[in-house]
Amino acid sequence: MKYFAKKLAGFIATLLAVSFLVFLAFAVIPGDPATAMLGTQATPERVEALREEMGLSDPLAVRYVRWAADFVRGDFGTSYSYHIPVTQMIGDKLPVTLTLTVLSFLLIVCISLPLGITCARRCGGMLDHVIVVANQIVMAVPGFFSGILLTLVFGLILHWFTPGGYVSYRTDWWRFLGYLFFPSLAIALPKIAMTTKLLRTSVLAETKLDYVRTAYSRGNGTKAVLYRHVLKNALIPVMTFLGMALTDMVAGSIIVEQVFNIPGLGRILLTSISNRDYPVVQAIIVCIAFLVISINFLVDLLYKLVDPRITIE
Amino acid sequence: MMGAILTGVMLLFVLVGFFWTPYDPEAMDRSVKLAGVSLSHPMGCDNFGRDILSRVLKGSGTTLLVAVGTVSIGTACGILLGAFTGYFGGLVDEIFMRINDALFAFPSILLGLVFISLLGSGKYNVIIALGIAFIPSFARIVRSEFIRCKNMDYVRSARLAGAGDLRIMFVHILPNIMTVLSSSIMIGFNNAVLAEAGMSYLGIGVQPPDASLGRMLSEAQTYLFSAPGYAIFPGVVLILMVLGFSLLSEGLKE
Repeated sequence: MKYFAKKLAGFIATLLAVSFLVFLAFAVIPGDPATAMLGTQATPERVEALREEMGLSDPLAVRYVRWAADFVRGDFGTSYSYHIPVTQMIGDKLPVTLTLTVLSFLLIVCISLPLGITCARRCGGMLDHVIVVANQIVMAVPGFFSGILLTLVFGLILHWFTPGGYVSYRTDWWRFLGYLFFPSLAIALPKIAMTTKLLRTSVLAETKLDYVRTAYSRGNGTKAVLYRHVLKNALIPVMTFLGMALTDMVAGSIIVEQVFNIPGLGRILLTSISNRDYPVVQAIIVCIAFLVISINFLVDLLYKLVDPRITIE
Repeated sequence: MMGAILTGVMLLFVLVGFFWTPYDPEAMDRSVKLAGVSLSHPMGCDNFGRDILSRVLKGSGTTLLVAVGTVSIGTACGILLGAFTGYFGGLVDEIFMRINDALFAFPSILLGLVFISLLGSGKYNVIIALGIAFIPSFARIVRSEFIRCKNMDYVRSARLAGAGDLRIMFVHILPNIMTVLSSSIMIGFNNAVLAEAGMSYLGIGVQPPDASLGRMLSEAQTYLFSAPGYAIFPGVVLILMVLGFSLLSEGLKE
């Protein structure tokens, strides 16, 4: 319970710190939001009136509290370029990016766990060597390049999917998922390699420990020792890594969305950055950061479930 | 070992690109538009008829330049921040670690995007943006190493001998953590190359006329079917660069 309370306090402190940093970053940049909204042709009187209306002349702390309160209520402000609420703009894009991330996470777990265990069991064998070398190479391939290669091979040569033929989840859920398969594979590939490698090393390190010998001497077979004893311990560093990998995957999906022409959060983020549409950029950044911090918080709680020995230093 | 060789080869490749390219990387020639691999153009030509090998040579130079700049900013600031907070501890350390944790919650490329949206794009802004984005991870490593070392015997004896705090920090402790640090610097290079390529691919990193591997890849995507080499060659060079750094970092760890 104390563990939970401490973690929760840390979680909330980090959330506040992140939101304040993001707010600060966008508050101190040169350029006036009122001018940005009205365009350069606006009269000084109108700009001044809008500044009053938007509360831009108030002190920074007041503006932060107001902004944070609005944010909690789900009001992310109004886009400078489209003059519609930001919530509306990112509302139906968020599920796309989330699905992409979840799908790649599932791919990582489903592929790298069996692969890592196989490698560790056949350590030193032919298959192990092949996978270790392949891992090293795949790890160095950036997601967007494997995306391009997947498009070339499976889209243009084998015609397994139509490049750019994205189907909205509102139209057809299954075809939406089908189209997201290759993008999520592109995001997952380097992480699959890293997870496999980590799991292999971790299992091999565990099997050298005393408790494994004890387990064997009590008459357990290799499989029983591996699945009932070793894996439990070997998975702990893998869990840490997967928590961190999720962070990267959210970022990776922003890039890979471009490769496969998927209208997710990445697309709006990029157009908003080039349009200098700060409320949208700010909202997306804060959303992603919150997502990441929440994931890390959940991973911390999961630790405690998997390994009750873990305590706060 | 493999990593050192590969990195060496890639550095040589980049170095050659600084002084000599087979063609002018900007020169356009409509007669060889999207030409395939040939003796005169070993990697073919792009949609403007520019020689891809020349552009890859120039582009990997840009990528490496950005990586060097980024890692320099990241390590320099990271060492300073990590050294002071780790060595002295206290309230400043506490506040700093909170901020660091908060920044750590952002993937570095996302942090880079934030700074780019504030600073504007271009080669030097990418270096600044990614450099700042890399500070937290270096600071964290240096800080924990300083905490580990600050009460060791050699530090105590240096203190007894009358060495000042600054001298202890940078003359005594710093050289002792270089092994740990050098491995993370190599990972830093690895990540910086990937981040730069990613940002340039998105069109918010290095801007034309500067050639960049990421940008080439995004331009090549339109011609993926008619000229696959246009995408594959820059991609492979990028992979080799990253591979070299990652192998080197693992070698240093051992």
